[in-house]
Amino acid sequence: MSLKSLDPRINRLNLPDGEQPPMEPKAAFDQFETYEVFAQKRDNTPFTYAGPVHAPNADVAFLFAKEQYSRRSACSGLWVVQTRHIMVSPYANDDECIYDTFKVEIPEHTAWPLESYEVFHLKKRGKAHTHIGRVGATSYQEAYHKAKQAFAAQHPAVNMWVVKSKNVLQSAEEDRDMWLTLPEKKYREPAAYKVLDRIKSFKEKQQKALNK
Amino acid sequence: MKEEAIKDLLYKIADDQLILGHRNSEWTGLGPILEEDIAFSSMAQDKIGHSLAFYTLLHELGEAEPDLLAFSRSATQFHNSQFTELPNGEFDYSLIRHFLYDNAEAIRFEKLSHSGYEPIAKVATKLKGEIKYHVLHANTWIRNLGSSTEEAISRLQNSLNSLMPYALGMFELSVYEQVLIDTGIYAGEEAIKEEWLTRIQQVLASTELTMPDIPSQTPMLGGRYGTHTKHLQPLLNEMAEVIKIDPTAEW
Amino acid sequence: MYGGGNTFEAIKAEGLEEEDARKMAEFEGRIAQGEKIEPDDWMPRLYRQQLIRMIEQHAHSEIIGALPEGTWITRAPGFRRKLALMAKVQDEVGHAQLLYSAAETLGKSREEMLTDLINGKSKYSNVFNYPTYTWADSCIISWLIDAGAIVNQMANSKGSYGPYCRALERICAEEAFHLKYGHDSVVYMATGSSIQRQMVQEALNRWWSQIMTFFGPSDKLSVHTETLMRWKVKMASNDECRQQYLDMYVPKILELGLTIPDPLLKKNEDTGQWEYTEPDWDEFRRVINGDGPCNAERLGVRRMAEERGAWVRLALKNPTAKYVRPLA
Repeated sequence: MSLKSLDPRINRLNLPDGEQPPMEPKAAFDQFETYEVFAQKRDNTPFTYAGPVHAPNADVAFLFAKEQYSRRSACSGLWVVQTRHIMVSPYANDDECIYDTFKVEIPEHTAWPLESYEVFHLKKRGKAHTHIGRVGATSYQEAYHKAKQAFAAQHPAVNMWVVKSKNVLQSAEEDRDMWLTLPEKKYREPAAYKVLDRIKSFKEKQQKALNK
Repeated sequence: MKEEAIKDLLYKIADDQLILGHRNSEWTGLGPILEEDIAFSSMAQDKIGHSLAFYTLLHELGEAEPDLLAFSRSATQFHNSQFTELPNGEFDYSLIRHFLYDNAEAIRFEKLSHSGYEPIAKVATKLKGEIKYHVLHANTWIRNLGSSTEEAISRLQNSLNSLMPYALGMFELSVYEQVLIDTGIYAGEEAIKEEWLTRIQQVLASTELTMPDIPSQTPMLGGRYGTHTKHLQPLLNEMAEVIKIDPTAEW
Repeated sequence: MYGGGNTFEAIKAEGLEEEDARKMAEFEGRIAQGEKIEPDDWMPRLYRQQLIRMIEQHAHSEIIGALPEGTWITRAPGFRRKLALMAKVQDEVGHAQLLYSAAETLGKSREEMLTDLINGKSKYSNVFNYPTYTWADSCIISWLIDAGAIVNQMANSKGSYGPYCRALERICAEEAFHLKYGHDSVVYMATGSSIQRQMVQEALNRWWSQIMTFFGPSDKLSVHTETLMRWKVKMASNDECRQQYLDMYVPKILELGLTIPDPLLKKNEDTGQWEYTEPDWDEFRRVINGDGPCNAERLGVRRMAEERGAWVRLALKNPTAKYVRPLA
């Protein structure tokens, strides 16, 4: 016997009916590792934290991020970063700046060439991290320092994230047309549903019927 | 003659998009990974949106309203390839169909964006971005799963083998084939098929999947002119179940 | 979509006295000032537990909530409804994704949450254990259950936990479309043909008592509740939400010429409070504990999605993966 449903899709799945033994716990990472997604609302605005996706690799993370984080609002680009590649500072209070309250030691300068790092700031608790700029450094610690010199005065923050630029998967310039599809999807906009006139004329009809 | 040819072209594209969009929409809420559930649903919506755009062009040429075209014809009046109407099966089957179909869809729409019939060219150009994502999605999945576990590879290979004859049915020639080509409205199915074979071959070559032998396949034809599998009419009945409760009402 | 109706068995407010007094004072001070708590902050165990449970139940409600409306996804009448319903059900799945992620920042993995859902260890909004017999049922849910969810979510979005607030902000923005779509679809039927009017009235009759239970039974004022309110985990009492909801939606239902199937429903002009027939809370308890018309189906479907999708996830799994919870 298979389960009977009001949903024809479910009936086609031939689910077993009746009591089932409990499911074995899902294996760890069955839903994959996490990637953090940053979206750009329109050209020349900073990339802002949108949320995570679970994915087996960066390419798939990008596919997932595109629909989860850009299908419902304007978007002109996406960045995807594996969570473990992001170095996170502690959080300061809302009236403080993290660069004042949190110090890191800079490692002795090494012979490594400078690498590029992307810096994200959280302006206020509860808001979303925003890309603030890029620094060149030889370590995360040095990047933190460079970020402090470059951005602390102008852009106080309660929390900062820093990630090597090479670990950021960025949407390609030649794929810009992928972001231009929103105007065709009016059925997802509240503004597409206007019923006031319909209700009004319905009420008038009812009133007339009553008056008769 | 030319107008009939254009309508013939529009019907097959619109019906293909509607029926496959409908099938793919069945996955919504039931997918193997939350994020993939969302992505698959977006592409199903896109396809149904595309069908609406093409039914609208048909309406402008004097055919019935899009809702009537989609919800009140019977199977014998549908021009979709049989490929699109087959039930979803498991995820491997739906994924292979998505891969085979959307690569063809991309080529079809690229060609149509240069169509000599302006309204088609306009619609096709507008949809380019969506279709780009569909192909990226399909190819990324096939590349990832196609060289993963034994189970995944064998599932995909079986689906590929059983779907290939149906996929080749997408390229069934129109009775107006030559008119469409001569008037520069459409590149023609043969040209699209050749390019399609090259593209899917390229993706498959980067995996452990094997391209089925094409010359020995018998394409499943007939869909373009109303010959369908037993699956289409029940699909259409289901789709129209509510609207038929009161066909004159606005829903 | 989410209601207060599922936070039933309360965690006992034990162990609070064992918490570090200085850290607790700092934590409570931050919340009192209106600052948000972020994942790396120190937090009392009770806060963490309660939030995990609440956000997890909310996430489950979204993913299970996709099913009763999904019942009509292949049958939506006309392009406009077909596209909108697909997008709406898709949004519910998207909301589940956002909420599971927010709960994960507190240290429970998505795998654990999904296992607990499927094995019946974790609850979800009880209304989704009821079936959608006709298209009109799906419209009533889209409008009137989503409306309830919005009342709840708007309140919760002012809560104290940063990741939950961020998720809710996105969710509330998306739900604006759900509510409008739902209203639109009900209005078309209520102002349409007699067959349509009858369908929508019958659906309202079926769903009204579910709607009334959506926010849960009256909260007992306990120390526990007070603590959760002080910590801005619980933002409004179930009754406050229900009253606000009735204020907003009863007039909108009545103006469509529909009858609300509760002869006692009226607003008491003296107290400003709605009076109504108390819903059957025994049934509510029975159903939430597993004995409802669709419990087995809902969990069976989720289980199927997990089990039949297992080979996909196994194929792509990275054997060297290390778990890092999402950041924010």
